[in-house]
Amino acid sequence: MATTDSVSKAFAPAQDAPLTERDLDWAVVQRVQAGNVAAFDQLVQKYREHIFSVIYNMTSNREDASDLTQETFIKAFQAIARFKGKSSFFTWIYRIAINSTMTFLKKRSRRRYISYENINEEVHSTDIIESLTAKNRSEKGAIVHELQEKLNDSLQKLSPKHRTVVVLHEIEGLSHVEIAEITKASVGTVRSRLHYAKQQLQSYLQDYLG
Amino acid sequence: MANHPQERQAEINLEDLLRLKRSERPSDQFWNEFDQELHQRMLQTLVKKDPWYLQLMRGFSGRILQNTALAAAAVVIGVVLVRPAFQPMASSTGAIAMDSAAVVPSGNTAMAGLMYGSDLDAVASELSMTDYYADAISVETNSDDVNFIRDFEMESMQVASYDASVYMTESAQARVSFASAGVASLVY
Repeated sequence: MATTDSVSKAFAPAQDAPLTERDLDWAVVQRVQAGNVAAFDQLVQKYREHIFSVIYNMTSNREDASDLTQETFIKAFQAIARFKGKSSFFTWIYRIAINSTMTFLKKRSRRRYISYENINEEVHSTDIIESLTAKNRSEKGAIVHELQEKLNDSLQKLSPKHRTVVVLHEIEGLSHVEIAEITKASVGTVRSRLHYAKQQLQSYLQDYLG
Repeated sequence: MANHPQERQAEINLEDLLRLKRSERPSDQFWNEFDQELHQRMLQTLVKKDPWYLQLMRGFSGRILQNTALAAAAVVIGVVLVRPAFQPMASSTGAIAMDSAAVVPSGNTAMAGLMYGSDLDAVASELSMTDYYADAISVETNSDDVNFIRDFEMESMQVASYDASVYMTESAQARVSFASAGVASLVY
């Protein structure tokens, strides 16, 4: 997937290219720190969809995800003068997003509103949807909606920490090491959480998986 | 739904289902509105002043914290080093320090110092009165002062045998007898 590839490039080894994504981001950050505030928009354009995707899949709410994504970039903008580049901007902005979302989820623990984002048209050409609607193409919309509902519901049943790992790994396509860096947990912890979370999801989605 | 989920299960695994979530993407219209709102909020942050507690927290995370820590350390060191000099050696009932200005005659330069602490300890232990003792009695005077008499005999030690609760400054002055004016310091 294109978004996953671009995200993974942020962690590409230095020998693969003269300038890594991390280097490029750091150059932009330095321009912002030097007073070129407009340069921050480049970082927003580059990461907004990734950040929105993570938060949306964490909250299952379109409006909350939009607010939290904006909040993430505002926090980053306010703190960018203190960003020293010890980690990549990618890791840093993801960490801000995850922490903001975790805080939000704690406050929202007793309320749960689910609003769905539209599934992009390209999904209807995937093998998965084709398989799901193989028997009767006229039910495609209903099947997609039902599956969307079930997936969101299943994700919301996971604890925020387990949900984070699943979202970052299975949906965003980040590696265990990258997730460990973002969540400040060990790789072993990440693997353990992922294993447990997938077991839970298997049971929740049993009807679709067998 | 007409289809039974079990009919689809053979071809689909969990990873496939979760990958579907990647396709839930907002429209371009959403991102246009998003960008406008974000720019608006970012501009507000440039103008809007942070609440006082946020400014305070930010300040404490930097130079203010270092200065505060240094000042606190200086105060602690000051208290530890300086305070004992002003404290009595025993803390039972207080201390008597006779006013030196009142008893030191002008022109006296010689100093005689006598320490009775160990003797008084013995007396105190004998009388089971450990709440006071005479620390030092010293007298300043000229060697040619004919009126000077070293008289630190039992009169002055009697003070030590008195009960602290009934001990008075006047009695100390009376018992520390000097033919010449001097300095007497009794601590109990």
